[in-house]
Amino acid sequence: MNYIDKLLQSEDLVSPGISACQGCGAELILRTALKIMGKDTAVVIPPGCMAGAGAVGWNFDNGLKVPVHISLLDNTAAFMTGVKTMYELSGKDTKVVGIAGDGATSDCGFQSLSGAAERGEDLIYICYDNEGYMNTGFQRSGTTSKGSSTSTTPVGKVIKGKEQNKKDLPMIMADHDIAYTATLSPAYMQDFVRKLEKAVSMKGGFRYLHIYSPCPTGWGTAPECSIDIARKAVQTNFFPLYEVENHKYTINIEIKNPQPVSELIKQMGKFRHLAEEDIQEMQKMVDKKYNKLKALAAMSQDN
Amino acid sequence: MGKIIAATGNTSAALGAALSGVQVVSAYPITPQSSVVEYLAKMIADGALPARMVQVESEHSAMSVVQGAVAAGARAFTATSAQGLALMYEPYFRMSTLRLPMVMAIAGREMTSPEGVWGGQQDSISVRDAGWIQYYAENNQEILDTVIQGYKVAENNDVLLPVNVCYDGFFLSHLYERIELPEQSEVDAFIPKYNPVHYAFDPAKPMALDPMTPGDILMEYRESHLQAMQNALGIIEQTDKEFEKAFGRSYGGLVEEYRCEDADIILVTMGSMTGTAREAIDAKREEGIKAGLLKIRVMRPFPVEKVRNVLSERKAFAVVDRNVCFGWNTGALYMEVKAALGGLGKRISSIPVIGGLGGADITQEHFMQCIDLLEEAGKSQVEHKTVWLKKEGIV
Repeated sequence: MNYIDKLLQSEDLVSPGISACQGCGAELILRTALKIMGKDTAVVIPPGCMAGAGAVGWNFDNGLKVPVHISLLDNTAAFMTGVKTMYELSGKDTKVVGIAGDGATSDCGFQSLSGAAERGEDLIYICYDNEGYMNTGFQRSGTTSKGSSTSTTPVGKVIKGKEQNKKDLPMIMADHDIAYTATLSPAYMQDFVRKLEKAVSMKGGFRYLHIYSPCPTGWGTAPECSIDIARKAVQTNFFPLYEVENHKYTINIEIKNPQPVSELIKQMGKFRHLAEEDIQEMQKMVDKKYNKLKALAAMSQDN
Repeated sequence: MGKIIAATGNTSAALGAALSGVQVVSAYPITPQSSVVEYLAKMIADGALPARMVQVESEHSAMSVVQGAVAAGARAFTATSAQGLALMYEPYFRMSTLRLPMVMAIAGREMTSPEGVWGGQQDSISVRDAGWIQYYAENNQEILDTVIQGYKVAENNDVLLPVNVCYDGFFLSHLYERIELPEQSEVDAFIPKYNPVHYAFDPAKPMALDPMTPGDILMEYRESHLQAMQNALGIIEQTDKEFEKAFGRSYGGLVEEYRCEDADIILVTMGSMTGTAREAIDAKREEGIKAGLLKIRVMRPFPVEKVRNVLSERKAFAVVDRNVCFGWNTGALYMEVKAALGGLGKRISSIPVIGGLGGADITQEHFMQCIDLLEEAGKSQVEHKTVWLKKEGIV
C-alpha cells in the first residue's frame, strides 16, 4: 500500500477535540506516527507541547485512543522500559512508544534515554524537535539552534540570542549502537512513513526517530508555512534526512543544489536579529555538519 | 519451618523479595545497599529467580522502571540508600501518589554532607511525608519477614501504597545473623500472585494514566491517599498477626512494647538500636528501676493511638533518634511522639535524644545514662533539652 492510502485508511488515534497551536508540527507528527503504530501501542509522553495540548488526557478522560501516560520530564525511556519489561513477561507484543520534545529528550531526559539505548531496550522513541521548551514559552534547550532568540536567551544589547551550537541528538543516539536511528521531516511524508514502518517492523532493539517539528508560535513563523519551512530545512541541508543501521549511514534525500541557509532563516522571527556574518557562520556550520554526514555515508558504502 | 541460614541484612532483604516472587527488579549500586541487588542479580543469573533485572544508569531510572512495570501489572522491587534515594525523589513521590504498590528496601545511610557512607536514618526520615508506608526493622529476620509482610500490606485493596523497609546501614546491612528462611510454598500461600485491580497500563483498556488533573479532583486523590494510610494502620496489625499464625514470628504490628507493663519511664527507639536498648532495660530492671521500651516499627502511617496508649500514664520518656530535624532542636521521631501526645492534656516529662549519626555507635552505656536522666526527669514535669549520645557519654 502506498503511503497516502496507508495514512488515509489508518484510524486517527488522537481523541476528538485535541489540538495544538495552528501550524504545529508536533501535532501532525503525533497523529501520523500513531496511525502507523496502530492500536496495539502504549504511549508515553513527558510534559511538553503534546502533553499540554491534552494528548495525555484531562480530568478522567484520555487524549488518545490507546493507553497513554504523562511521564516525568526526565524519565520517559526508563518508564517505557518498565512497561515493556512487564509486557514481555506477560506475553504481550504491544509496542511501547515514547513521543517527547527535544528538551525532555536532549537535556534532563537524556540520562534515562541514553541508559535505555545502551541496554538496547525494545522501544520506539520519537523526538519532535521544535528546538526549545515551547510549551512553556520558548525557553532555550540544548537543541536550540545557535543565534535563536528565546525567552531565556533574549536579544539584548550585549548578548544576542543563544550563544551555543545545537546538540546533535541523532548523531549521539546513533553512536549508542542502537538498532535504528533516523531523521524525519513532515515535509517528506513518504520518507517519514517508510521510516516509521521500518521502526515498527524491526523486532527488538532501540529505535530512535528524530523529527523536525516547526513551531509557528515559538519560532515566529506563519502557521501556513510550517511544511514549507520543514521542506526548506531539508533543502538547505540544515536538517538532512538520513538513517543509521549497523554503523551504516544512508542519506535518504540528497539535495542536488542546496539552497543557502538564509532562505530558511529569513522566514523565522527567532533569527530576525542575525547579522550577515552570523548567517555566514551558520552556513559554515551547516556545511561542516553535512560534509561530516556525507563522509560517514561514503565510509559506510565501503564497509 | 524452612532452613536456618546465616545472612546479612542485605541478603535478608533480597531473600524476602525473592520469596515474595518479584517479577521485575531494577536498581543502581550504592553503599551500603549494593549487595541487595547483587544477590538478586546472581539469583536471576543462576535461574533461581524467574524475574527480570533491569540494570539502569541511576536510581532515578530504577524507580522509573519499576513504576512502569507496576503500572503494567508487575510485582516489583528495588533498594537504595541516601544519595540514591535523594536522586530518585521525583519518581519516588510519584510512586505513592500513583498508588502503585511495591516494596523498596532502604539500607539507611547518613545524608551528605559531611561526606560519608555510614549508617543513619536521615535518608528515609527526610522522605517520611512522600506518601509511602515506612517500616523500620530491628534485625535481619525482621527485614526478611517485613519485606514479605510489606507486599501483603501494599497490595491490599484498601491500601494500594508502596512500602519502604528501612534498616540501619552496616549495623544490619552488613551484619550476619541467624535467619529462619521460610519455605517458598508457605510464602506463596501467605501472599498469592499479585492480581492488580489497579492495572492501569493495559492496551485492552486504553486509559490515560495520570491525565492533567485540576485541584478539586487532586484534593480527592489526596484525601483518599490519607485515608489509605489510615486503613494501613489496621492492615499492618492484621498482617503481622496473620504472619505470626503462618510463620510463628510477630513484631507487634505497628509498635512493640518491652517490659512496659508497670514501667514508670520509657525509652522510645526505632531500628537496630532497639536490641541494645533491651539490654539496658534488663540491666536497669535488675537495679529495681521500672524502665520499659517502646519500639516504633512503623513510622508511616504514624501509630498515634498505640503511642498514646503506651506513654500517656508514664512519668517520663526519652525518644532516641538516629536522625535530626533541622527545624527543631530534636530528632524527627521525638516530634512525632510529642505530636501524638498533644491534646491529651497531660504533661509528661520528655527527653529528646540524638545519636548514632553517620555510623557512630549507640552503646548500652548511652541508654543506661538516658534511663538515669529519665529517673531524674520523672520527678518533675520537664521538657529536657536535647541530649547527644557522644563517644564520651551523653551530653
